[in-house]
Amino acid sequence: MQSKTRHFISLLLRLILGVVFGYAAYTKLSQPWALFAISVDAYHILPEWAVTVVARGLPWLELALAVLIVLGPWRRTTSVAASTLLLVFFGMMVRAYLRGEQIDCGCFGPGEAISPLTLVRDGALLAVSGFLTWDAFQHSRRPARSFQSQYSSY
Amino acid sequence: MKLSFPLLFSLLPILSAAPTLDKAKTFGNPDAPITIELFSDFQCPSCRMLHITLLPSIMRDYVLPGKAYLVYKEYPLPQHNHSREAAAYACAAARVGKYEQVADALFQNQPAWAENGKVFETVSTALTPAEQKKVQALARDPGILDEVQQDVQQGQSQGVNQTPTMLIIHGTKRYPVAGVPNYSLLRSILDGLAK
Repeated sequence: MQSKTRHFISLLLRLILGVVFGYAAYTKLSQPWALFAISVDAYHILPEWAVTVVARGLPWLELALAVLIVLGPWRRTTSVAASTLLLVFFGMMVRAYLRGEQIDCGCFGPGEAISPLTLVRDGALLAVSGFLTWDAFQHSRRPARSFQSQYSSY
Repeated sequence: MKLSFPLLFSLLPILSAAPTLDKAKTFGNPDAPITIELFSDFQCPSCRMLHITLLPSIMRDYVLPGKAYLVYKEYPLPQHNHSREAAAYACAAARVGKYEQVADALFQNQPAWAENGKVFETVSTALTPAEQKKVQALARDPGILDEVQQDVQQGQSQGVNQTPTMLIIHGTKRYPVAGVPNYSLLRSILDGLAK
């Protein structure tokens, strides 16, 4: 892939992922925190104290990731963090779906049940984040010190 | 004063289009700061669990003290073969002032009638012989069937896609809570809104 095209695709995907994370944070922060806590609790994975921590903290983490993904500093760290988060979300959703639990996804506020559509959407976001992680490690590698600079002190 | 008649006249279509509220399906103070619209299906096991385990606490802590106004809404799901019939009987029972009693009987005995289809036999345990006749006739009334359908359409228009769903209404804001939530988390929401 040509460098210019790759750079454009990467920028576009960063914008998409950043907007999605920003919107997810907005929908949670604009409502009582306990509403999101109910969605988290419905997965029956975390104890009540951890549900509270996640419900209060996750929207802020999503907001921070949204800003960092769009602005672009620490690309390796932010893309790994976003991919890890999306992988956890996706895993939890698949688990709930396979167990036949009819619960809210909790992705963008309440009122959206887990369905094949939400799984495809989150799977696609995970793929986008995975590509950005690969891209960050593949193409934003720190320039290796040149042979001359490495040995100039000898 | 000149303006009041045209203003009232212009409001008429809005007022007539507003959904009618069957008082027998509502509980508590209509002026409470919070309204809870509970969309449920008599044949859904989670609705049964909510009705038996959570609703008594909501009634005790919020509805009876006047902090919340509870409105029952029917949302029979198509995959439940007897739920629309049960909803029709419950709405008919509301006309004789026995909605709550019939809803209790339907939820308590849900596993049995969901299996054998004896919905009216279950409903009749909460009614006197005279009420049974009236409810049986009313349940076939197109007005009652329409009432059930109106509840379903209202739920669909408000994004209800599973049962049970509680729509917590505070001012102009609506917060949907699907499933059977943890009561302490639900309290956090209701206490925050009731302040």
